[in-house]
Amino acid sequence: MDIVACYKWVLDEQDIKIVPGSLLLDTSRAKGKISDYDKNVIEEAVLQAEKDDTVTVTALTFGNAKAKQSLKDALSRGPVKGYWVNDAAADIADGFVTANVLTAALKKIGAYDLILFGEGSSDAYGQQVGPRVAALLGIPVVTFVTKLEISEGKVMAARKIGDCTEDVTVNLPAVITLLPEVCKPRIPGLKQVLGASKKPVQEFKLADLDLVAENTLPKNKIKSIQGYAMDRKNEIYTDGTVDEKVNTLIASLTKEGLL
Amino acid sequence: MEDEKFDVIIVGAGPAGSACAYILAREGKSVLMIERGDTAGSKNVTGGRLYTYALELVESNLYKEAILERAVVREQIMMLSDKTGLTIDYFAGTNMEERMPQSYTILRAPFDEWFAGKAEEQGAMIAAGILVDELIEKDGKIVGVKAGGDEMYADLVIAADGVNSSMARQAGLKKEWNGHEVGIGVKEVIELDPETIQQRFNIGPDEGVARAILGGTDSVMGGGCLYTNKDTISLGVVLSPASLAAQKRSIADIYQDFKMHPAIYPLIKDGTTVEYSAHLVPENGWNSVPKKLYRDGFLMVGDAAGFVINTGTMIRGIDLAIVSGVAAARAVLKAAAPADVGQLYMKELNELQLISTMQLFAGWPQITGLPRMSSVYPDLANEMIGSLFYVDGKLPKRMDKSMLQILRKHVGIGQVLADAWKGFKAL
Repeated sequence: MDIVACYKWVLDEQDIKIVPGSLLLDTSRAKGKISDYDKNVIEEAVLQAEKDDTVTVTALTFGNAKAKQSLKDALSRGPVKGYWVNDAAADIADGFVTANVLTAALKKIGAYDLILFGEGSSDAYGQQVGPRVAALLGIPVVTFVTKLEISEGKVMAARKIGDCTEDVTVNLPAVITLLPEVCKPRIPGLKQVLGASKKPVQEFKLADLDLVAENTLPKNKIKSIQGYAMDRKNEIYTDGTVDEKVNTLIASLTKEGLL
Repeated sequence: MEDEKFDVIIVGAGPAGSACAYILAREGKSVLMIERGDTAGSKNVTGGRLYTYALELVESNLYKEAILERAVVREQIMMLSDKTGLTIDYFAGTNMEERMPQSYTILRAPFDEWFAGKAEEQGAMIAAGILVDELIEKDGKIVGVKAGGDEMYADLVIAADGVNSSMARQAGLKKEWNGHEVGIGVKEVIELDPETIQQRFNIGPDEGVARAILGGTDSVMGGGCLYTNKDTISLGVVLSPASLAAQKRSIADIYQDFKMHPAIYPLIKDGTTVEYSAHLVPENGWNSVPKKLYRDGFLMVGDAAGFVINTGTMIRGIDLAIVSGVAAARAVLKAAAPADVGQLYMKELNELQLISTMQLFAGWPQITGLPRMSSVYPDLANEMIGSLFYVDGKLPKRMDKSMLQILRKHVGIGQVLADAWKGFKAL
């Protein structure tokens, strides 16, 4: 059985600065990383393989040339092979484009029984790509999954919906999108890190994939991204005794609906 | 498994480790460099300067590719009293091409990452995000390292794991630091636009300042330093733990006052702090370098070996780290048998003049460690210089008499002579 764990290479939000005044984002010093939630995705796939010898895990990503660095990290987490669609188009891709590209790559790869995604990426969190890929491949999708078990060509998945849990059984092949609580990603050990550089990586360019041009053009074009700054009330209570000041504060907070 | 043995395992991807890995990999040795941080440089908080001669030893012209900040054209010594400051400014000239060796200010995080990447290009394997737990010893010889549950073997393990080298302690070559051997450093990286930095320090676009600062530390022994980077200033103090413990204030408070000193604050005004960090700094020079730097299957380089020189006007560590990494690599390449590496390493350190340089400055910690260096002498210097410029319309005192009077106000003649004698002996 083949599991493909998909992940996104994102900018590390810790390194992104909001420029005071314009509130524009300064990403010039930002390093890349595997989207936080996608580390759990790779881990869950690998845990399944560790339970069952017949399961093979590969990793798939769509990113620009810099995403090359991600493969060593991804493979040190356990997958046996990495697939990388290397194209600068990833920089402006929306869920539509990413889903088209990944679907074309999955068709090229051929071997997939279970395709795992994070519920959303740690940068845009659009929650689009998993369901779209399932639709394009014409296979079922289960979202918000916190637990999964594979047996005899089926997946039993627990979905977290609000305060409830819904148990779903689905036939393979299928797409499953995972919530981070599904598992905790490992910190790769020395041998895993060393082993990763010996694992095979297959690189595709967009031209290698069966894609029509219009499916590589984003439907959503980002005009600008700005930091969010909240205006402060800047109220200082100076009049009256301490008790009176506290009372005024509480009255204000109540009025704002904060208490 | 055959592929789990390397010629050399290097623990730590700082300048010493990367210099060594670079040369060994280039010469065809199988090298594994293990780094505790997620990337090389991520655990490092040094802002400082790199003397390029050291990188020349690794590979000619390599420094031209390095991630450097500004070429140091102004060497400065600053002495602070309570409210005043005296700065000696040596302008070293702008024609850097003719002046090798040169030095550059650097920020270690990007520099280390670049250097480790270069070693990787030469074929060294780098495993980042891995903490080495212990050395593997067999028949009295170090044969590998253990990290997590994994064991990895090599003919030689090189400890390049910095000032708190746990590898060197485990190998039994180094004891825990004594209070007087290290300083506690606090450093801040303050962001300012390049034009502002150039205006404030009177330098050109790629030019920089390295400044050693005495005084301003509330009489706690130690000193400060300042380096200008491209669009940041590295500012910090390194203080003596014993002297800190003898008073009540925290190092953070002392540093805050240091920053707000009227002669310092205008330099960093309107800047944004982008990093604030603390680190141990080896302070005792040659006298704290372990007697033995190697044993069978093991040797130590860089800060792990204690290779740092602080003369008060100049702090050298990064270049010495690189030189020792080069020495280790050369020793490995020249050794006919693994057992010869240690002695060859010492020979290379001698030939590269690292040991003789350290020995030359061996007495300096006694000068920089003089209690009066942190406040009495800076105050004295400020008042003496200040008096030269003091005009109030009254009859000035004769200069020799006024100088003597100021001197006596701050310190006894006997103390000055004693300190001078101590200083002279230390040279």
